Amino acid sequence: MTFDYMAIWDNRDILIDGVLTTLLVSTIAIPIGIIIGIVICMMRISENRVLRWSSIVYIEFLRNIPFLILIFLVFYALPFYGLRLSGLTTGFICLSIYGGAYFAEVFRGGIQSVSKGQFDASKALGLKYGFYMRRVIFPQLYKYIIPPGTNIALTMIKESSLLSMITVAELTYAAHDVNGRTFTPVETFATIALLYWLISTLFLKLTHLLQVKFGVEDTQNGLTLR
Amino acid sequence: MQTTKKSNGVGQELSREALIEIRNMNKWYDDFQVLKNINFSVDKGERVVICGPSGSGKSTLIRCVNRLEEHQQGHIIFDGIELTDNLKNIDKIRSEIGMCFQQFNLFPHLTVMENLVLAPMSVRHLSRTEAESVGFHFLEKVKIPDQAEKYPSQLSGGQQQRVAIARALCMQPRVMLFDEPTSALDPEMISEVLDTMEGLAEEGMTMICVTHEMGFARKVADRVIFMDAGQIVEENDPVTFFDNPQNERTKQFLKQIFEH
Repeated sequence: MTFDYMAIWDNRDILIDGVLTTLLVSTIAIPIGIIIGIVICMMRISENRVLRWSSIVYIEFLRNIPFLILIFLVFYALPFYGLRLSGLTTGFICLSIYGGAYFAEVFRGGIQSVSKGQFDASKALGLKYGFYMRRVIFPQLYKYIIPPGTNIALTMIKESSLLSMITVAELTYAAHDVNGRTFTPVETFATIALLYWLISTLFLKLTHLLQVKFGVEDTQNGLTLR
Repeated sequence: MQTTKKSNGVGQELSREALIEIRNMNKWYDDFQVLKNINFSVDKGERVVICGPSGSGKSTLIRCVNRLEEHQQGHIIFDGIELTDNLKNIDKIRSEIGMCFQQFNLFPHLTVMENLVLAPMSVRHLSRTEAESVGFHFLEKVKIPDQAEKYPSQLSGGQQQRVAIARALCMQPRVMLFDEPTSALDPEMISEVLDTMEGLAEEGMTMICVTHEMGFARKVADRVIFMDAGQIVEENDPVTFFDNPQNERTKQFLKQIFEH
């Protein structure tokens, strides 16, 4: 069997659009997911019962259903309640809130890893909650949250392939499209596998720079793991 | 509510000078009662040492004074303000009470100077220049003015604890709480921290100190409190306390400590 490069090359525009859409969805959903994660995490550790319990419901619901079912619910079920969203909008929303649930748990784990004495000292000095979280606790989190946070972001990039099921023309959808025109499944899916690998690797390089940045700061600042 | 309490009997004589008053205080961790019917007060300028075996509740007791721990029953009154759930009162009281911990708890991502100026700038609203000059003043007082730009992990344990003392002093507190400040230190560093604390005492700082340093207690304390199993068992001036302890449990404890 020969490898039909031309089938890919002739349809490169479709695939490039697919890559761009995947990148678009991910680069928007990851930061929004992080913001949602911070908010949910603050609710999760709050002393307010209502805030805490609603965050637990949020996290447990989103972590315990498949991502595909989440997008089906939003895309196919919500219209029955009068809310009709486009595939792309559904994709942004679902990926963000889905990632947010995981980020929230990572952030909570990070905050719990900071020594309790840091909280004691902050309170004893009379610092206000918001202030010491921002200036004392958060700066000590990076080393705990960057590695697991990277994993979540990477998962989000790859899970975005499921958006092809609701007509979002991202990379996987584009591959189906190309395969339908040329019937070259080996070439097409091998190519997008490579493209996903490339996107993920580039992303990992990026977070590695981040890690090095904070890693270097660690030794300069002499952060000590307790 | 507290004013009526104050005027009826127990508190009247004490409350005139008392900076901290604890009355009938009880505290539980779930079913376990850690503090049982605690009554004591600390006057302005007084140095009180609290000692006792581990698990006797002495750390919990002083952590209640600035509400790092909550008490469930009784009253804790600082300078006429009662500690309740009222967040404003808690913030106010914490800004007036300095505290040093066994593990120092300096902020590791900040330099010594940044550790010192953080609270004065945020809570007292000093400018950076003002806060830094206050910071330098107290760094000099604890005898490490040349370490201002270093990070905590670059300092020895004794130096870190002295920075922690300076950090608390920068808020110009009216009381200092010490929670076993020398217990995590190597023996040769203990004296530099104790010297600093003695210096503070000489200047008239009101202090409550949980410590096993009996030499310090004898030298500096106006009053020694002995706790066991969540109760105050004995409370006396240091001479009586060490030379003529009244309670059986106290005698046993002192005997064990001085045997070595």
